[in-house]
Amino acid sequence: MTEQYDAIIIGGGHNGLTCAAYLAKAGRKVLVLERRHLVGGAAVTEEIYPGFKFTVCSYVVSLLRPEVIRELELAKHGLHIMPLLSSFAPMENGDYLLTHADDSSNYHELRRHSKRDAEMFPLFNQMMYEMAHAVKPILATVPPDPSAPGLRGLQDLNLLRKHFQGMSKKSFHCLTKLMTMSVSDFLDEWFETDILKSLMALNGIIGTMLGPKSPGTAYVLLHHYMGELDGAFTAWGAQQGGTGGVSEAIASAARSYGAEIRCNAPVERVLVEDGTAVGVVMENGDEIKSKVVASGCDPTVTFRKLLEEKELPDDLISAIDNFKYRGSSGKVNLALDGMPRFSALGDDASAQCMAEICPNMDYLEKAYDDAVYGGFSKRPFMDVEMPTANDPTMAPPGKHVLSIFVQYANYALDPYDSRDAQRDAFGDAVVNTLSDFVPNIKDLILHKQVLTPWDIEQRIGLTEGNIFQGELTLDQLFFFRPAPGYSDYRTPVKNYYQCGSGTHPGGGITAGPGRLGALEILRDGNV
Amino acid sequence: MSNYDVIIVGGGHNGLVAGSYLAKAGRRVVILEKKKAVGGAAVSEEFAPGFTASSCAGGAGYLSSKVVGDLGLKAHGLAIEPSEAVAFVPQSDGSQLTIWRDVDRTVAEIAKFSEADAKAYPGFLAAMRPMAEAVSGLLEITPPDLPEVSWSDFPSARTMAGPMRRLGRKNVSQFLKTLPMPVSDLLDEWFESDVLKGAISASAVKDISWGPRESGTAYTLLYNWALSNSGLFRSSGGMKGGMGAITQVLATAARSFGVEIQTDSPVSEILLENGVATGVGLAGGDKLNAKVIVSGVDPRTTFTELLNPSRLDLSVVRNLRNIKYRGSAARIHLALDSLPEFSALAGSADLSALEGAIQIAPNMMYIQRAYDCTKYGEYSPHPYLDIEIPTLSDPEMAPAGQHVMSITAKYVPYALRQGSWEGHREAVVDAVLSTLAEYAPNLRDSIIHKEVLLPPDLEERFGLPEGNGNHGEMSLDQFLHMRPLPGYAQYKAPVEGLFLCGAGAHPGGGVTGLPGHNAAREILKATR
Repeated sequence: MTEQYDAIIIGGGHNGLTCAAYLAKAGRKVLVLERRHLVGGAAVTEEIYPGFKFTVCSYVVSLLRPEVIRELELAKHGLHIMPLLSSFAPMENGDYLLTHADDSSNYHELRRHSKRDAEMFPLFNQMMYEMAHAVKPILATVPPDPSAPGLRGLQDLNLLRKHFQGMSKKSFHCLTKLMTMSVSDFLDEWFETDILKSLMALNGIIGTMLGPKSPGTAYVLLHHYMGELDGAFTAWGAQQGGTGGVSEAIASAARSYGAEIRCNAPVERVLVEDGTAVGVVMENGDEIKSKVVASGCDPTVTFRKLLEEKELPDDLISAIDNFKYRGSSGKVNLALDGMPRFSALGDDASAQCMAEICPNMDYLEKAYDDAVYGGFSKRPFMDVEMPTANDPTMAPPGKHVLSIFVQYANYALDPYDSRDAQRDAFGDAVVNTLSDFVPNIKDLILHKQVLTPWDIEQRIGLTEGNIFQGELTLDQLFFFRPAPGYSDYRTPVKNYYQCGSGTHPGGGITAGPGRLGALEILRDGNV
Repeated sequence: MSNYDVIIVGGGHNGLVAGSYLAKAGRRVVILEKKKAVGGAAVSEEFAPGFTASSCAGGAGYLSSKVVGDLGLKAHGLAIEPSEAVAFVPQSDGSQLTIWRDVDRTVAEIAKFSEADAKAYPGFLAAMRPMAEAVSGLLEITPPDLPEVSWSDFPSARTMAGPMRRLGRKNVSQFLKTLPMPVSDLLDEWFESDVLKGAISASAVKDISWGPRESGTAYTLLYNWALSNSGLFRSSGGMKGGMGAITQVLATAARSFGVEIQTDSPVSEILLENGVATGVGLAGGDKLNAKVIVSGVDPRTTFTELLNPSRLDLSVVRNLRNIKYRGSAARIHLALDSLPEFSALAGSADLSALEGAIQIAPNMMYIQRAYDCTKYGEYSPHPYLDIEIPTLSDPEMAPAGQHVMSITAKYVPYALRQGSWEGHREAVVDAVLSTLAEYAPNLRDSIIHKEVLLPPDLEERFGLPEGNGNHGEMSLDQFLHMRPLPGYAQYKAPVEGLFLCGAGAHPGGGVTGLPGHNAAREILKATR
């Protein structure tokens, strides 16, 4: 007898797991199929060197939708996010900027750099809070289709119109700016301190092949402002045990509702009969039947690998083939023999759980320039997290791990050089640059793992290594994500759905696409 | 007391267009121009004995056909014929790509670089033209005061929806998706040849400070396309006598409707009474009054020099300070004793390819690289050059047998981060001429005279802040309801009785006449 499920979810990333949890909670018989030996997708914790655990790809949590935490009761299932209280950015002249979670410490620190900026900073945060608040409801909305507004589409468009009309003019103008400007221009309207601007500009460029002066990056900044932890907007945190712990918590919730999760279970393709998905074919040839199938993979995998071309209309094929991934970030994970020391901090180690190598705006822009023409940054921007500062379980006693998010590395890299040689050179650029700020780093390295965008693609299955399953540019957001007319989680194949970050509201550990995908599946009532 | 209904400050092309519409509707209009001649940035001047050039603005073919028709400009002598060649793009290896108005001829040219692109080109035109038309519809509207769309705004909101509806449902999404794209992404979707992509993307960035990889440049491509006289992404051809001849026609038309034009009349301030604009003070001390004051001057100058900004709301002042001007090009005019010989045309007797624009932009990434250095306050060592040789079609702009070459050189920032322009002026010219010499080796030897206008020179001479010819960048954050100032996109200034009709207002720059046209409509509505 063949197996029969109500729903099969392809890909056990955090969104696939979320989708499964919602469907199982609604009483459906759900199966999650994960290619790798562990769930989590890009949100995994792995012991890649004996005794040292790494959040191999993603590394911080802030965007997880609060409704998901609530509705899936993730706290009961082990979600424990420790807020990151400070952000430390060393400068090239030996000075630094250290921002905190509380206003008065920030004021005193910023005042060392600029009195004006110290006064503007809370006003800016208040404004961003309001903007995030204005956009937030849209993140939990299924995008309407302006091309084919049926009755429901018209209602959705009307709600959207009313939502915008409810904004004050000032807010709407500000939102227009956030949607269109470069993060550099946007910050220039507020601040004068270069190191403050570069520290803030980071959130505008993460995950994109754009520099801080590229228009469109102000939106990415806003996207990162929509994080909310325990009701506190814009807070960042680290999951105990690494981001894999978030995936584990969602998986545990899904199991508690009755979902079945199978690892080492690579799917070959979706089984389609008469334009309707009826199950999946595994790589080993097995068929598993189900009433609906959902893919948590990126749009290219979802449409171009898991389906045959004949199932898709031409406009979707060309839209997916033109979908921009352009992975721009790599990851370097270091196992360290002892505590790294930032020269700017002297012996004060309290601030080093999160350090940003972004000493000035030009530095970031130049890092981008290096990669535009097909290479990697000679002096890259780095987001350096030391999880062992808060969570000693990640390494043996006295040892540390550094989880370094690095930009930029062009997915294509230099076509004339071997991939291995470039990976080594990229890793060297990271360690050499870091050693300018952490002189003892080279002596401490026990093990080094270097992942280029290409490696991330190979390992996790993210096309071109893009961590957001597609760039968060204006032409790929909301009703354009992943393609105009296909942003409502449905596909041209009946009973086949999308639930990955390649759909609205996009990338990051948000669980938003998984939840919205599940709700649409349930709304259709075919299962 | 004064006899005027309307005083227009600045006799640039938009001031002339606004004045014409207002006078045509029966208003008594005076235009006050600071300089000896009207035209603003669209003027022709003798830069060397016997040699005349369009000093600042180029691009004759962008004048709105609606304006041309409404004002009967052809009867007043307007004659802009598009040339057959639209863009000639030489390559350093001696090959070249010419974009002709004729599609088949262009397809054959493109096939030299890519068969696939040659096949794709007609489809690209067919897909883009309806979008350009939709943009064209947006250019003639008064932007609604988003997010508020009140009943009184409804006509304009409806006009905004109109062009969208004509696109057809299916294409609306594609259109909305295209506007914020980088032109590089748009072209990557259609073509493989970087040469062709360079030829087309140059048009998208020629009036903006960004490179083709930046978001919003697909919009500037469509903007040029919407106004183009060639049916393509950029206009071609000029008017005999250069850009100044166009503004002379506009002035003749304006006078024919009864507009009084006073040159040599610099306005030093806009006079307020109880917060309402009631007149202007001239530099000589005279005062003129009128019911409505209209400024064709850019927003920064209007609000900080002609008015005392302390009279403005603080948020307006802040928005004013945040307008991005960013001149990004130098204008260089060369007097030549012979026609430059382009290696790519060596041995060919047919030089008609040179009658459109000559683009030294051999490929798209070349343009992007040229842009990179301006991010750090430097000028491009290998600039993108947009060149016209007006004497090919209008020999009277130079002595017999001699030629004028007008070059827009990008990218050149308004201010250098290191040092002042004085020390670098020659170096910029040198970068331009050595770049050009790679394609036309004999050029240097034929130069009799050169005039160099860096962005600060353009600011000084044509009143363009930071040397930006568009009175503010044509970026998406300075578009529609955001232009010239958020909340004041309906041509009414934040001062009662004062209107704006220059390129700082929607839809923006280029010698289109549209801001003047739109402003006149709003002024008539407000003063009925």
